[in-house]
Amino acid sequence: MFHWLEKNPFFFAVGVFAAIAFAGLVEIVPNFAEASRPVIGTAPYSTLELAGRQVYIKNSCNACHSQLIRPFKSETDRYGHYSLSGEYAYDRPFLWGSKRTGPDLHRVGNYRTTDWHENHMKDPAAIVPGSIMPKYTWMYTKMVDIDTAFAEQLTDAQFFAVPYNKPVPMKELDVDGKPKTKIVKMGKSIAEANAMALVEAKDIVKNMKDQDIKDAVNKRGEIPEIVALIAYLNSLK
Amino acid sequence: MFSVEFQAYGYVAATIFLTVALYSYIYHLYKNRRDADGHDYEEYSNMALHDGIEDTPVNSLPKDDKK
Amino acid sequence: MENRPLEYDYTVAKMFMLTTIIFGIVGMSIGVILAFELAFPGINTILGSGLAEYTNFSRLRPLHTDSVIFGFTISGVFATWYYVGQRVLKVSMAESSLLMFLGKLQFWIYILTVAAAVVSLFLGETTSKEYAEFEWPVDIAIVVVWVLWGVNMFGLIGLRREKSLYISVWYYIATFLGIAMLYLFNNMEVPTWLATSAAGETHIGDWFHSVSMYAGTNDALVQWWYGHNAVAFGFTVPIVAMVYYFLPKESGQAIYSYKLSLLSFWGLMFVYLWAGGHHLLFSTVPDWVQTMGSIFSIVLILPSWGSAINMLLTMKGEWQQVAASPLIKFMILGSTFYMFSTLEGPIQAIKSVNAIAHFTDWIVGHVHDGVLGWVGFMIMAGLYHMAPRVFKREIYSKSLMASQFWIQTLGVVLYFTSMWIAGITQGMMWRAHDQFGNLAYSFIDTVTVLHPYYAIRGVGGLLYLIGFVMFTYNIYKTMTAGKRLDSEPASASPMGA
Repeated sequence: MFHWLEKNPFFFAVGVFAAIAFAGLVEIVPNFAEASRPVIGTAPYSTLELAGRQVYIKNSCNACHSQLIRPFKSETDRYGHYSLSGEYAYDRPFLWGSKRTGPDLHRVGNYRTTDWHENHMKDPAAIVPGSIMPKYTWMYTKMVDIDTAFAEQLTDAQFFAVPYNKPVPMKELDVDGKPKTKIVKMGKSIAEANAMALVEAKDIVKNMKDQDIKDAVNKRGEIPEIVALIAYLNSLK
Repeated sequence: MFSVEFQAYGYVAATIFLTVALYSYIYHLYKNRRDADGHDYEEYSNMALHDGIEDTPVNSLPKDDKK
Repeated sequence: MENRPLEYDYTVAKMFMLTTIIFGIVGMSIGVILAFELAFPGINTILGSGLAEYTNFSRLRPLHTDSVIFGFTISGVFATWYYVGQRVLKVSMAESSLLMFLGKLQFWIYILTVAAAVVSLFLGETTSKEYAEFEWPVDIAIVVVWVLWGVNMFGLIGLRREKSLYISVWYYIATFLGIAMLYLFNNMEVPTWLATSAAGETHIGDWFHSVSMYAGTNDALVQWWYGHNAVAFGFTVPIVAMVYYFLPKESGQAIYSYKLSLLSFWGLMFVYLWAGGHHLLFSTVPDWVQTMGSIFSIVLILPSWGSAINMLLTMKGEWQQVAASPLIKFMILGSTFYMFSTLEGPIQAIKSVNAIAHFTDWIVGHVHDGVLGWVGFMIMAGLYHMAPRVFKREIYSKSLMASQFWIQTLGVVLYFTSMWIAGITQGMMWRAHDQFGNLAYSFIDTVTVLHPYYAIRGVGGLLYLIGFVMFTYNIYKTMTAGKRLDSEPASASPMGA
């Protein structure tokens, strides 16, 4: 039988394929449905947060920062509660990273502020002496692409049933003992999406010091990349 | 759930099958030493050593014999 | 013309030899820049703050990994296939004008794809998935290149005069199938232009943007199933294909045990794919997947060492050749590095070791002792062996090749030793607690302590790059100034002083 296989390229290829495909089927398929169920308290990303996430990806922040807290005391002491599968239910793509040249960011929103990020991204070594993180100065002058973020939201809602404009349960309970709900809104048109993102951005720049950034958002209605990125980082909790 | 159980049995069966297949392959190779065409497996190393286009193949395809 | 004897046709092999060298220089140079950026962050703005976006570590990092993987290594795989494939099947590309055309077509589409990939990565258009950063238009182009290669491969096999497929061909077929499966499934994504708003607009935002078809934990599982096995089918399987051809041919020795090579093949095929879970230990993927990843990583030592030992034993009784020929030195040290990294990897996959090693530079060190010591050495050795036969000239300089060997070996040793120390230091510092149970170090302490190791690693990488430039020069001189050969050498490649 084996001899025959070695001299018949087609069946040989089929054999190789069966041997290599087997492991994937066993390891990946059985858990698919369960792993994608969100935990309570996980909500989809708002337009500005998603735009910020795209900035994060565009600059490969994930090359140096993980978003995965492992269940060790040293990690929970440093970064907070260890990560749960359902917390990533709306992460497309996942951003766990594979290398911690810098610290984990999965719950960075709990212990860093808008103000801190604003100064840090401009010159990391000035805030954290000895830091080897580069300066991300262009994020202060380039404007973020809200349209693409909106297109991504539409895709999420249409193809992956991400619950935009629908109530999602939160951890806190209301007076009746039922979980409170939160609705993450998504625009109906490009114009509305941009307007909603601008409202979010105005909220962020209240806590920022850079006058150019404030003017861009408040006066000109433009959103620099840094504002979106901070909105995203603040959402990581 | 039926399908999960079915999967589990399927995987166990497939694993056993592939393990048996691999070990019988080892047994087959070392027991017979030669393949069905009567070539010692070790002869096939010559495919790399004598690989000029005019060299005689270790194991010619029938269509070549007609030439 | 009609009476000219049939010869192997290396046109396509030559084209891919060229790209192997060019993308090797590009990818390794970017790697050296990255290494020094970590040691001396000022280099991030080396071209001024206006261009900082494009010289920055994070923007360049995918360019480094992708140019050495899809540029250097894959070109090397294609180049050696278009050489080895013809020879062990005993059929010339010149016999089929269709295959010749498809081979050239594959090359030119490949060049266009690489150009598109480079531009898009510089602009930051990435899906963020490691070694699968390209957006869907580039993905489609890559699939086309790959399919053309497959058609060519099976086309050549269809025309063969040798009935049995040589073991190298098995490995090339596995490379083709493995990468095809992995790449397709990991890059499943929905282009955003398929979505439409309630207001009816289409083409919102960037047309090439897409959303991954998997979310969160599933996405991670698929990605590392891919990431791990792309290493398997890009950095292991085709390189084993090369060593099984080039080492016996160059040394004139038959493979120590052909049967063992067949066994190791099936063992590797079956076991390798399971081990991807070891990238996700202590993460949110199910425990049993993690354990499976761990166990199979250990099992993987067997088939890997099966091939490596088979290579080393091929030199049995002929060790004077290793001393005499720098070309055989490359292959033997390469096989040794293969044994070394296939032992190191499983050790890192043990859960308790992984708890310290994961997320640190030790992993980076592991990757590089594999790719520099094994993949890089074997591809260069392959090209060195091919050069006299393809260009019909003697290799230009043996002493240059020998110096290159030692310089690069020193580079690899500096690289992985510094990264070991860096990784273990950092892993231990992250988890250190003081006597009151508080964390002993802040994160930045664990960064500044690495400075000397980052600097040493940079030097190691630079030495390797210098060696690669020497290799390029040697090949170039072989092409243009090497002594002409009257007949093809049977085994050992002739070298000038």
